[in-house]
Amino acid sequence: MTDNSGAQTRAVSMTDVNKWFGDFHVLRHINLTIDDGEKVVVCGPSGSGKSTLIRCICKLEDHQEGIINVLGTELNEDVANIDEIRREVGMVFQQFNLFPHMTVLENCTLAQTLVRKKSRKEAEEIAMEFLHKVRIPEQSTKYPGELSGGQQQRVAIARSLCMNPKIMLFDEPTSALDPEMISEVLDVMVSLAEEGMTMICVTHEMGFARRVADRVIFMDEGEIVEQNDPHSFFDNPENERSKLFLSQILQH
Amino acid sequence: MTPTTERAYRAPPSVPFASRLKKSLFASPLDCFITILCAVLFTTIIYAVVDWAFLSSIWSEEDEALCRESSGACWSVIDARHRIIFFGLFPYEEHWRSTLACIVMIITIAASCLPALWSATRLGLLWVSGFGIFYMLMHGGVFGMTVITPERWGGLALTIFIFAAVSLLGMPLSVVLALGRRSKLPVIAKLFGLFIDFFRSLPLLTILFTAAIITPFVLPGWLQGDKLYRVIVGFAIFFACYQAENIRAGMQAIPPGQDEAGLTLGLNYWQRVTRILLPQAFRNSLPSIVNQFVITFKETSIVTIVGFFEILASGSAAYGTGKWTVHYIEVYVFIGVIYFLFVFSLSRYGAYLENKLRVGHD
Ligand SMILES: Nc1ncnc2c1ncn2[C@@H]1O[C@H](COP(=O)(O)OP(=O)(O)OP(=O)(O)O)[C@@H](O)[C@H]1O
Ligand SMILES: [Mg+2]
Repeated sequence: MTDNSGAQTRAVSMTDVNKWFGDFHVLRHINLTIDDGEKVVVCGPSGSGKSTLIRCICKLEDHQEGIINVLGTELNEDVANIDEIRREVGMVFQQFNLFPHMTVLENCTLAQTLVRKKSRKEAEEIAMEFLHKVRIPEQSTKYPGELSGGQQQRVAIARSLCMNPKIMLFDEPTSALDPEMISEVLDVMVSLAEEGMTMICVTHEMGFARRVADRVIFMDEGEIVEQNDPHSFFDNPENERSKLFLSQILQH
Repeated sequence: MTPTTERAYRAPPSVPFASRLKKSLFASPLDCFITILCAVLFTTIIYAVVDWAFLSSIWSEEDEALCRESSGACWSVIDARHRIIFFGLFPYEEHWRSTLACIVMIITIAASCLPALWSATRLGLLWVSGFGIFYMLMHGGVFGMTVITPERWGGLALTIFIFAAVSLLGMPLSVVLALGRRSKLPVIAKLFGLFIDFFRSLPLLTILFTAAIITPFVLPGWLQGDKLYRVIVGFAIFFACYQAENIRAGMQAIPPGQDEAGLTLGLNYWQRVTRILLPQAFRNSLPSIVNQFVITFKETSIVTIVGFFEILASGSAAYGTGKWTVHYIEVYVFIGVIYFLFVFSLSRYGAYLENKLRVGHD
């Protein structure tokens, strides 16, 4: 079987995936493969299904038709393997979603001790290592409510990284941030990309996309309308809808 | 350019205490009049109460004869009869057991107020052991203590027992009910909702009567247990239904992203519930949760009606004989003070928590 040998290097493959919310056809005939170590930026107008697409990859949403294969395992109703996949896929949300009743350090150690069964000491060492990496080790004893948005988002990234994921998903990680905090988060994401992490980012930060993305995917009305390398996509979009979208976000 | 020093941050201008006082109390002639009137009234009442309770009162049992001449309280009745109020019909020579049991339970209640102990395992352990010791001391039958069955328990000890048992049974049940009502399966959610709303729409009295008097006709003998336990189970279900709604309100306020973050980290259902959902739900609705405990403590007095000798009923017995019948006011004041100590400290604690958690949150 050809698919099996390919599974080694495929991080994600989606074959003719369809999804509905009630009667609303939110994802339409999605075909997409993402290789190990590839960095993909997903963009498109509001409501086009970008969030839904990446939420399907970590099974926060169910799809109704088609096959989604993540790290060689098919996502279906089998609960045991779903939990296993979720551990390998990190997700960073627009609203950070840190646990407000735990310190930064506890946010980072919780899943390590419960899911990875690490000792508390070991988990704390790993957490501090990643907090260093996102450049806020000094905040480890604070609560999320005491941090700025940019700091919270970096903690959220560190929290995901502590689980040693093979794929990182980002859903508009900078769009809830004040402008002066965007770059501190993007810097962390760039260095993560440089280390070879497989990344799928929903973002409209074009500078980031040009710098790290291997591929840009443009979605509209639940479809993948265009995929290309970032320079071709941003400089010479082929599709009418991509052109319109780019002209709109470039107006500012 | 103005020098920077003039724009430096400084504290707001302070208003002297005297002028603040003047502004709030003596601003106009009418204000002066009202202030003085209130002050006079207030001091008169306070003086009357202090005089009655402390200055002109009679304290010891032997001085009871003096009570008729004195205008103050006759605390002799408490001196003579406090054991009945505290322990009911518990055998006299075993009162030390009841005393110790109450102290253990009060320590348990106080300890569960410490944030350091707020985890399901620690609180569970604390309450099961605290309650276990309480029960062992009251019931006896081990370590050479004679058996004293619940029919002979009474007074403050019984009130505390009922309160503690209702809390111990009711809290876990309320969590289960709240989770059930939020279940993703519509059938389960509807069933739990129906259960909760059914018991919330019945008066507590009805539930206790049913538990005490009607269930023996319905349940098989081995399931009936002692009347006291049936009443406690009924009370606990009632308590849990209200508490479940408080907890559910706290869960409703948690953004769905919290659960999703737990999911993507690979936490399973119970890990998400115990580590993310419940701690935040409890924090969100602590004031109403504490309030429910306060109400429950006061409502324990209702068990008198199904024939238990809790503190209020024991109070009636305390002044019910011979020369003490005229001193019922003192007995009720005394019981009122006991209730007040419990309830007031609980509600102050609730207010303190509310403040503290607000600061910790953002
Ligand atoms: N749980 C849901 N139930 C019903 N409809 C939903 C649900 N979640 C999303 N939708 C709808 O699906 C469509 C796609 O949503 P999605 O969040 O994937 O868009 P998006 O591309 O991420 O948009 P944005 O840029 O605004 O985040 C939208 O029209 C949205 O209203
Ligand atoms: Mg979105």
